[in-house]
Amino acid sequence: MKCLLVANESAEVLFYWTDSEFEQRLQEQYGVSQEEGEGLPAFEDSINTLFAPIIISCSTMVDRLGDNYTSFSTENNHIYVLHQFDECLYIAVNGDGEETEEDLKRKIYVMKKLTEILFGMVTLSGPLLRKELRPQDTEQRNRLWKKLRSLLETYSRLRENDQSFLVEAVERLIHPTLCEQCIEFLERRLVQQINSSMDRAGEEVLHAFILVHTKQLAFYSSRNASNLNPSDLLALIILVQDLYPSKIDLDDTPEELENSTVPDVFYTPEPSPPERESVTPRKDSPPVFQFVDPDIQMAEDSLQTLEVSTPDPSSPSRVFLEAKECPMMPHSMYCLSLWPGITLVLLTKIPNSHMAVSVYYFLEAFVKLEKRLGEGHEGASAMRGQSSVQEQRSKLEKFIKAWSSMEIQTLQLQNAWTDFKNKAFSRSGTGFTRDLLPSCRNMKTQLCGVYRQFFAAECMGSSQRLAPHLQERALNMVQEKLMDWKDFLLVKSKRNITMVSYLEEFPGLIHFIYVDRSSGQMIAPSLNVTDRTVSELGKGPLADFIKKKVWSLVATARRYLHKGYATVTLRDGDYFYCYFLWFENETGYKLEVTDIPSCPDDTAPIGMLTFDYYRKLLRYYSKKHQNEVVKCYELLTVHLGVIPNEYILQHCSQLARKLWEPTRIPLL
Amino acid sequence: MAESAVLADSRRCCFFLYDSSKVQEEGDLTRDGIYYFYPEDTPIDQQELLCGQLAGVCRCVSELSSSPVRLLRLRKSKYAVRMKDNFLWALSCSVEIPDVSICDVLDQLIALFCFYNGPVRQSYQLYSQEELALRWARYLHHLQGGSTELHSIFSCLRTIDSTNIDPLLLLKAALILQACQRCPLVLAGCILYRGRVMSTQMPPALTVKVMVYETQTYSQDNRVSVNGLSSSVGSAASVTVTTQVYLTPSELNMIRSPPVERACRSHCNPPPCQPRKSRLSRTLSDTPTSDTDSSSLDALQCPPVSYQTMPSSPRSSLSDEPYFSPSPSRGNTPLHSNLLNQSEYFNSESHDHQTALKEQSLTESLNRKQDTDTNSESESKSEGLNSDQDVQSEEIKALTNGFQELNSHENHASDNDEQIQSTADKLESDSHVTSKNGKLRGEMEARTMSKQADRRHQDKYKPTSRLSPNETTEDPSLLPSILYQHRVRGLVLALLVEPEFNTDPAAREEVQHSSLASLNGLEAHLRNTSQGTPGPPGPYTFAHYDCIQNTLTTNVCGRSVGPQDRAFLRATALLHSHFSHLDTLQEAIVRNSGSAVYATRSTAQETYFLQQGTPVRNSGSPDPQDSAFSLPRKARQRLLKHGVNLP
Repeated sequence: MKCLLVANESAEVLFYWTDSEFEQRLQEQYGVSQEEGEGLPAFEDSINTLFAPIIISCSTMVDRLGDNYTSFSTENNHIYVLHQFDECLYIAVNGDGEETEEDLKRKIYVMKKLTEILFGMVTLSGPLLRKELRPQDTEQRNRLWKKLRSLLETYSRLRENDQSFLVEAVERLIHPTLCEQCIEFLERRLVQQINSSMDRAGEEVLHAFILVHTKQLAFYSSRNASNLNPSDLLALIILVQDLYPSKIDLDDTPEELENSTVPDVFYTPEPSPPERESVTPRKDSPPVFQFVDPDIQMAEDSLQTLEVSTPDPSSPSRVFLEAKECPMMPHSMYCLSLWPGITLVLLTKIPNSHMAVSVYYFLEAFVKLEKRLGEGHEGASAMRGQSSVQEQRSKLEKFIKAWSSMEIQTLQLQNAWTDFKNKAFSRSGTGFTRDLLPSCRNMKTQLCGVYRQFFAAECMGSSQRLAPHLQERALNMVQEKLMDWKDFLLVKSKRNITMVSYLEEFPGLIHFIYVDRSSGQMIAPSLNVTDRTVSELGKGPLADFIKKKVWSLVATARRYLHKGYATVTLRDGDYFYCYFLWFENETGYKLEVTDIPSCPDDTAPIGMLTFDYYRKLLRYYSKKHQNEVVKCYELLTVHLGVIPNEYILQHCSQLARKLWEPTRIPLL
Repeated sequence: MAESAVLADSRRCCFFLYDSSKVQEEGDLTRDGIYYFYPEDTPIDQQELLCGQLAGVCRCVSELSSSPVRLLRLRKSKYAVRMKDNFLWALSCSVEIPDVSICDVLDQLIALFCFYNGPVRQSYQLYSQEELALRWARYLHHLQGGSTELHSIFSCLRTIDSTNIDPLLLLKAALILQACQRCPLVLAGCILYRGRVMSTQMPPALTVKVMVYETQTYSQDNRVSVNGLSSSVGSAASVTVTTQVYLTPSELNMIRSPPVERACRSHCNPPPCQPRKSRLSRTLSDTPTSDTDSSSLDALQCPPVSYQTMPSSPRSSLSDEPYFSPSPSRGNTPLHSNLLNQSEYFNSESHDHQTALKEQSLTESLNRKQDTDTNSESESKSEGLNSDQDVQSEEIKALTNGFQELNSHENHASDNDEQIQSTADKLESDSHVTSKNGKLRGEMEARTMSKQADRRHQDKYKPTSRLSPNETTEDPSLLPSILYQHRVRGLVLALLVEPEFNTDPAAREEVQHSSLASLNGLEAHLRNTSQGTPGPPGPYTFAHYDCIQNTLTTNVCGRSVGPQDRAFLRATALLHSHFSHLDTLQEAIVRNSGSAVYATRSTAQETYFLQQGTPVRNSGSPDPQDSAFSLPRKARQRLLKHGVNLP
């Protein structure tokens, strides 16, 4: 019984997702009759009505008490978690005991992250986000919501089944030679060829990577690209998994696996694998940016006519990723399915993307100004920490002029700017006082609007993309390259490393997870719960039991880390668990432990997907070690409880040493 | 935002009782529904704001989930919530207190109110809101006021600091309670000294309730209580009051069922009911009904209770089993007969030893004692402490046992009271024999508590059968009972008695008779016990929580909290809440840069340990040499002398 909804301050539901049990329950409880044909709106209304008191009470609490609800729990263990991001209130509900409060909080943050990936800076403006999330047109809305719901479900599936999404770090396939070859191939052949092609329509491949299910085989970034941070990479994997879901209980029967030495018979590349056919409907859904926006009147009416046609498979998705210059830089993402389960992903820089940088620059200035005005600063002190007002003013004037010549609607922005100038700079105006806040906010909205026109609407409207034949060629090249490895990779992705190889050296060790937080990568023996093959953990119930233990260990370790504890050992039933977090310099020298700050309860969940806790931690730690590169590692182990503690600790220490090596595979 | 400085302050506790049935129509004012709001100086519009919002949102959520809200968390604070028949109670605390603890406190608070006032709806019909507001404030103060953070984490009973008290005084207190219980109208009792528990026969939840009244009379001294005072005798130093109270059926069953001592006695004297009947005919000829009543209750309502003791807790580490199983041959053991003789011998002596006996060396053996003069100072204070320890405990057990037998055998004696008195005195004079390790006290407590322990134990580990903590709010049938209290200065004897007690002067007389002199003596001793300053706390911090008795042993002082103590408290709060969520968790070590805390628990207890001093430089990476992992060993060693016996 699960539900997640996003509402704005006027208690309007901008998006909701429920599982069927929740829906059923509400319908039973309130006798919501589902009329033929209009089932969904009726349910939406009832959700709206039911949650309205909570939503309204939330804003009352914020306004009058300066505090807000973060969670409710009931006697029958239903949990409600609430979180307010700017003007949007997110509520997540669980009534089946499958998720904890922490899980729900994480889900809310993931939802937020997904909207940021899909809408970029538009999320910074409440009114615009509302229109983005809840398009007027019912059909459009259904399409968008369907897409978002499926993304959420994909995330939940991954979090429940995939260790890399459990600890929120990317898992690489451990095969150094092949990995290196692929990186070289991506660099020398693929990216170079695309970027020198005439048909790339002004786009430039910045990152290229190959995924086998959720695991990364090779990753290449061009030299002038910013790093792709782990948070974005994980979010992109969710997008890819949503597009080409790997079946958890994939029916690759043991026979097939064993025969994989003669694979060609079974896996000759088909031009259109059945997998792809089944996902085509999903491809219909990407046009999330097409909508009419009558209130803000940004004149995309003319553009809308262009996008009605069903988008063809070669059209990219627009994603907004963090770059050095701007935290939400627009990119185009091409997901090319090489074979079922193996995907090539290209991230390209799109023309005009530098516009995002300047919009962000001004947006940031207004955000800062709004914050300082809100805190009661006035006059010059309100502008502290920013370059001179006049300089910014003239810069903005210049940009507005430039933008208005670029076929986009800037009238509203110009009006807002005039209004702001009158209030801020003229003698009759208010100057930099609290009264300037509305104009300030309006400017923010208008800037977001300009950004949206550049990158969102345009994306869907125009045929901006790498030419289809170029994409086709890229696909073929990589297919050719990996042809011989395909089956190996599919098997390898299921058994990246196995416990068997550790048992002799570490008797009593049941499972471990090792994470390099500086690079956002992890290694862990595979836990194949649903596989028909018998794993070292046995099949079915036992493996499932261990899996549950591992999942709860990660949650426990996070809870303690959240409060500043970097070492935890637990004896729980017949098992002994350890968790360690430590810092090293580049040569592997262990650095002295530091005070890890204890966070208040309402901070973001610990992890890398939604909010990079570890990046903050590293930055915090690096302050003390200015002249060395600091790295952060985590190790979680599960041992049999009968093993004496000394041996367990010995194991952990040896394991950490042993695992350090493989992570040194060069990442170009 | 600024309007709510009071409420926004998360450190301040906030509590309210709201009746939503009073606010249903559009025009109804929220303030009509607010029965009580703490802090009372909160402006009414803020009260309305908070109550209105919280009540509204709780109702909405409980409708959505078709279950009452239990916990409501805000960014800066959290509220434990109870919803029942239109009533809503909410109690806030800072976010650092574990969820389980704050919910416990709220349940205790509600139970406390119902204990003294009966069902909430009814009491608001009988008394004015102002009057009840006073009581809420008092109960709230009792549960929250003055306790240390550790106490609020565990929400445990405040007990007297036993390290400074002669263990035999504790034994004496227990004996007084047993003596009172010989009046069949007396259900169970406890003895409090200066607002702290000295000895109790009641389950912890009930003891807490009884204590409130004590704190209140203690602070108000002699003034007439608001709680339906029915009689008052004695001088300023000695006051007796009886108060109408309400018990839940399960509480009543629990204390009506025969306590361990009686059970033991019955085993020693088959047929079981006989001694009681004979006593009854002697003292209370006019109340045969109550007797049959209670004996049938004994038989009917407590069949499942076995007399097996808890899996070993450190204090009851000696097996109690012999005392709870019939052992006909027991009376013939040399030690036993020896003891009887001894008692008789002492019986004939005068009382004047008593005054001469102050807290002295406690290390000599009983045998040695028997040979020497009672008044002699012990020359060898530490001699044979360890080797004789067990023997002594055995002897003391036998002694106690003998005492009980003595009582039952000789209860026809006319001078019963005097005998108790003198025997207790003898026991006291034998204080030399006890070692100060608390074993004796543990013994006594373990025995008085073990049955409740069993029950609680069962409750705790069978969640389905667990008594709902809000039983008082859910159970409409609260049963009236009487709380009898006898105060001698700082010392209070509190007894829960059957309602007929008030109309039975003989019973009252008997209780008074049997306790008065002993109480005076006990009080005099306690008063003269120097409030010795606790020794240097040692290079470690620990807390040992007994989940069964709901008591805490610790060396963290309440007031001065150093950085190490802060670290300890934080870790303890986290670990305690982890323990309470995960039944299978047995031990844990958590470490941050400044401190490492080791925690271990068994079914009956939780122990937390921190080694002080600057930790050795370490990287936090897995390292078998790491000092944090030697904590379990250190804890085992260090805590032995506090009577904590870790596995």
